[in-house]
Amino acid sequence: MDVRLNYAPCGYVSITHEGIVADVNQTFLDMMGYRQEDVVQKHFETLMSTANKLMFHSYFYPYINLDGHVEELLIRLKNSRGESVPFILNGRKSEREGREWLDCVLVQVGKRIDYEMELRLANKQIEKAYWEKDQALAELQHIYAEIERKQTELMEINTVLLELSNTDKLTGLKNRRFFQEKLEEELKLYSQTGIPFSLFMLDIDHFKRVNDTWGHAYGDEVLFDVASVLQTHAREGDIVARYGGEEFVMLLSRTKASEAKVCADRIRRAVSDFSWKEDGVTISIGIMTATDALEDNEATLLEQADQALYASKENGRNRVTHYEDLKLQGSPHS
Amino acid sequence: MNEVQIIARNNVKVLGTGERTLMLAHGFGCDQSMWKYILPAFEPHYRIVLFDYVGSGHSDLSAYTSERYGSLRGYVQDVLDIMEALELQDVTFIGHSVSSMIGMLASIERPEYFAELIMIGPSARYLNDEGYVGGFEKSDVTELLDMMELNFAGWAGFLAPIAMKNPEMPSLSQALERSFISTDPVITREFAEVTFFSDCREELPKAKVPILIMQCSDDSIVPISAGEYLHAHLRDSSFRLMEAKGHYPHISHPEETISLIQSYLNT
Repeated sequence: MDVRLNYAPCGYVSITHEGIVADVNQTFLDMMGYRQEDVVQKHFETLMSTANKLMFHSYFYPYINLDGHVEELLIRLKNSRGESVPFILNGRKSEREGREWLDCVLVQVGKRIDYEMELRLANKQIEKAYWEKDQALAELQHIYAEIERKQTELMEINTVLLELSNTDKLTGLKNRRFFQEKLEEELKLYSQTGIPFSLFMLDIDHFKRVNDTWGHAYGDEVLFDVASVLQTHAREGDIVARYGGEEFVMLLSRTKASEAKVCADRIRRAVSDFSWKEDGVTISIGIMTATDALEDNEATLLEQADQALYASKENGRNRVTHYEDLKLQGSPHS
Repeated sequence: MNEVQIIARNNVKVLGTGERTLMLAHGFGCDQSMWKYILPAFEPHYRIVLFDYVGSGHSDLSAYTSERYGSLRGYVQDVLDIMEALELQDVTFIGHSVSSMIGMLASIERPEYFAELIMIGPSARYLNDEGYVGGFEKSDVTELLDMMELNFAGWAGFLAPIAMKNPEMPSLSQALERSFISTDPVITREFAEVTFFSDCREELPKAKVPILIMQCSDDSIVPISAGEYLHAHLRDSSFRLMEAKGHYPHISHPEETISLIQSYLNT
């Protein structure tokens, strides 16, 4: 071997196509503490641990044969003391004297491999941190979705509760609380726009007698049926509510006195025309129409409708009275 | 998935002409180019099917999922998918290394596709076990995985030139090099884990097709005892100890490999 190659500042190993070491330089032997006869004519893999043999056979050997060269393969070889020494190996396939040789140059990697291991460790830590971040994010998204779901659920429950709290249990109509809210809204709207609206107070005639004669169960049935008739004959947008006992109220937005009277009479007739199981049932109605934004408030409106209702009762029941007409007649109660 | 998609996914190549079909299946860390030294001997007389497993060679890396390829089952399905797509029957399946077991498992599942199996350097289990010498300790596999990881950048360096020589797909080489740096280390690591932690010993008695075991006399990866174990536990196997050393006789000793396969095919 050329002296310069023999003592070149890197290891040189020439192996046959079958992997047998044919030639090796002094630098390699010195690095590893071997003599010529320890290495030459032996298979190159005798210097390797099982894992490194596998690296050699899975990567170096097939690729140098297919590709003609291999660059920067990191491989560990055992020295004479059995220690594992890391090398960077470059190999090239060449032909000399009609035969194929795999020439390898080996440079020992000392500190560099430590750096690389440190880098790899850092890289793994970063990967782990990323993974944890992703996990945390996924967890957060999960929690967020859960909160959203709960919120929807709550809103749905709320809607049901609201509906329940606004509903009269016996008749299924809106209750007094709901009606009062709507009346406030209607008044507010009226004060802004001046468009008149009307209010009915309705009361079942001789209801005490119905209860006394036919029992409370039938009384409840009558309440339910009256409620149904009111609801059926109300116009779209009219609010029908149970005010308490046998008393009902209706709120008719954008409705002036003349329209209100027609509407109330239609409803009165519908109740008396209903095919009652026992004695006939009738209702009396008192109407008030808001026409003066300055004077009218909830209490006065209700009070005045109630006066009109009282007049209907006084005048024989099963009739409709508008508070305005009452004033013209000069009722003793106004 | 239709035939065209499977052929693209597994980079399937069909060469040669002949009544009989040879399907050549590469092992861990390789691809179909490993067969190039023995192909010329068979191409004139046989139809030859070559392919890359998903995750290897020029396969479609995007088809890789850890669920499917987290066990040998996914690789078995690759083989069966290709056979079905090409409507193959009575195939002589030649598998190197871990592909021997993949082929055997496929033949247990669909025996009608297979005429026989030729196993080059097979092992039913790579890890040593009580009363069984597979050749590897768990620490060896861990060390291998570490070495592989340290060499990942290197792979890109020496695998990419193969792609560059691919004149019909010049744009592929760049994408391939990138993928070897990013995606492939993960896939290769998983393939290594699936391979070296696999244990097919219980499946051996279920194999029904005739099997040739080709064992290198000094195999650095599979000890002779592992080959002998296979021979003892397979129903219908022949065992041939090769003069070849190493684990890649089809590269290091193509003549001996060819003549053994030929004489088996001609009996």
